Amino acid sequence: MTLLECKNLTKKYGNYTALNDMSFQIDGGHIIGLLGPNGSGKTTLIKLIAGLLEPTAGAVYVKEEPIGPASKSVISYLPDHSYLNGNMRVQEIIDFFADFYEDFDSIRAYDMMAKLQINPRQKLKTLSKGTQEKVQLILVMSRHAALYILDEPLAGVDPAARDYILETILSNYDEDASLLISTHLISDIENILDEVIFIQDGRLHTQALVDELREQDHKSIDTIFREVFKC
Amino acid sequence: MLKKLLKYEWKDTKKLLLPMNLVIILITIVGCILLSTRIFDTSTGFVLATLLLVLYLLSIIAFSFITLIYIYVRFYKNLFTAEGYLMHTLPVTRTQLFHSKLIVGYFWFFLNSLLTALSTGALGAAAGFHTATTEMVDEVNISFAELFGCSPVVFLCWGLVTLIVCSLSSVLMGYVSILLGQRMEKNKLAAAVGFYFGIYMVIQIVSSIAMMLPIIIEIMSDTNEEAALNFMTDSLSLIFPSMCIFYLVLSIVFYSLCRALINRKVNLD
Repeated sequence: MTLLECKNLTKKYGNYTALNDMSFQIDGGHIIGLLGPNGSGKTTLIKLIAGLLEPTAGAVYVKEEPIGPASKSVISYLPDHSYLNGNMRVQEIIDFFADFYEDFDSIRAYDMMAKLQINPRQKLKTLSKGTQEKVQLILVMSRHAALYILDEPLAGVDPAARDYILETILSNYDEDASLLISTHLISDIENILDEVIFIQDGRLHTQALVDELREQDHKSIDTIFREVFKC
Repeated sequence: MLKKLLKYEWKDTKKLLLPMNLVIILITIVGCILLSTRIFDTSTGFVLATLLLVLYLLSIIAFSFITLIYIYVRFYKNLFTAEGYLMHTLPVTRTQLFHSKLIVGYFWFFLNSLLTALSTGALGAAAGFHTATTEMVDEVNISFAELFGCSPVVFLCWGLVTLIVCSLSSVLMGYVSILLGQRMEKNKLAAAVGFYFGIYMVIQIVSSIAMMLPIIIEIMSDTNEEAALNFMTDSLSLIFPSMCIFYLVLSIVFYSLCRALINRKVNLD
């Protein structure tokens, strides 16, 4: 069964077209890099899949269901900014996730928090920005979701934190699940990707398996990206 | 899922609104105790009483204002800012999200309005406790019947029903303004404030015309003094029922509009 299907997806903001007639499919058990320069439509696409935007035309299907409570129950989404209430304690946020997501693993979340020496009784706003980002990532990766969507999880963090984030992602997602990672720090994630989707000016440029693309061009994905999106 | 949403909505809102409403109860109890004594009978006591009365009125108005603004801000912040990214990705319907905000928001605003009304009533009763006589109470009852065509108890019951309906329309008016603001491409918050004042002005104009029109027609028609007085009594007795119907219709319109807006095009920036 196809995990995610975008059919002729278009999103316009007034006269500006952020996504233009985009169609693609994703199956389970893959790590997919959603790659494109700034303003290419990556975040718009992710927000449409997460149900935060309404498409101007076309539709998104998750496990053959349109976006709604059923799709949201199998998608674990990490936005590119903080989205939690800073006044909540970490344990309150864990309880919140456990209450709403049946696939949320509280033990896993507490375990990861303990490894980072995060006190669950601390209020989120009292933690450093970097730690807050890690808390968000832990919450998202503590779910046994079918599709993880991570919007720029590596942006603005130091190399050590990047390693922690990648390790957390790789060691926690279920093998049958798929990971859709949006980033332009390709060299950091190139080795873990199975598939890439290149977006340019709101259109699908390429969807291919990483190995096939490398063999075809005899170049790394990072190099291909730089050539495709050369300014 | 609605139950869970309500649980968290209640948990978050009670942090501010519960203590605030408890303060109203506390002020009322202290006020009633003070008024039941004779400490304000002296000339200095009168000045102190006036100052306390002004302070009390300002606090009561501020509490009502804060309650309503807090309910609106929470609706906006929780659904349409960064926090909305979490709320809109929960496995719940948008209608459930809306209902959780409406039920809890309405509960708090109604509670605040009810406590405010009870507080002023209790303080008024405590202030008149020493001077009121059975004859005076009878006189009030008769005057009420003459002026409003009903007893004070019936009048208060109508007041309560009006409060229930008006509180609902007040909460919904804020929500519908915020949702209309979300339809704009830019400056969504400013647009929401604009919609709120726009709707408020339209309601005031329509309700004023609806209330004044029958009176103006009656004055312009050639009737005697007694008929005019009877007409005024009939009009006053109809104030609460007509207000209830007006605000009920308004609430239904706002509610339908909110449901349509939240379910169709919600786009988070």
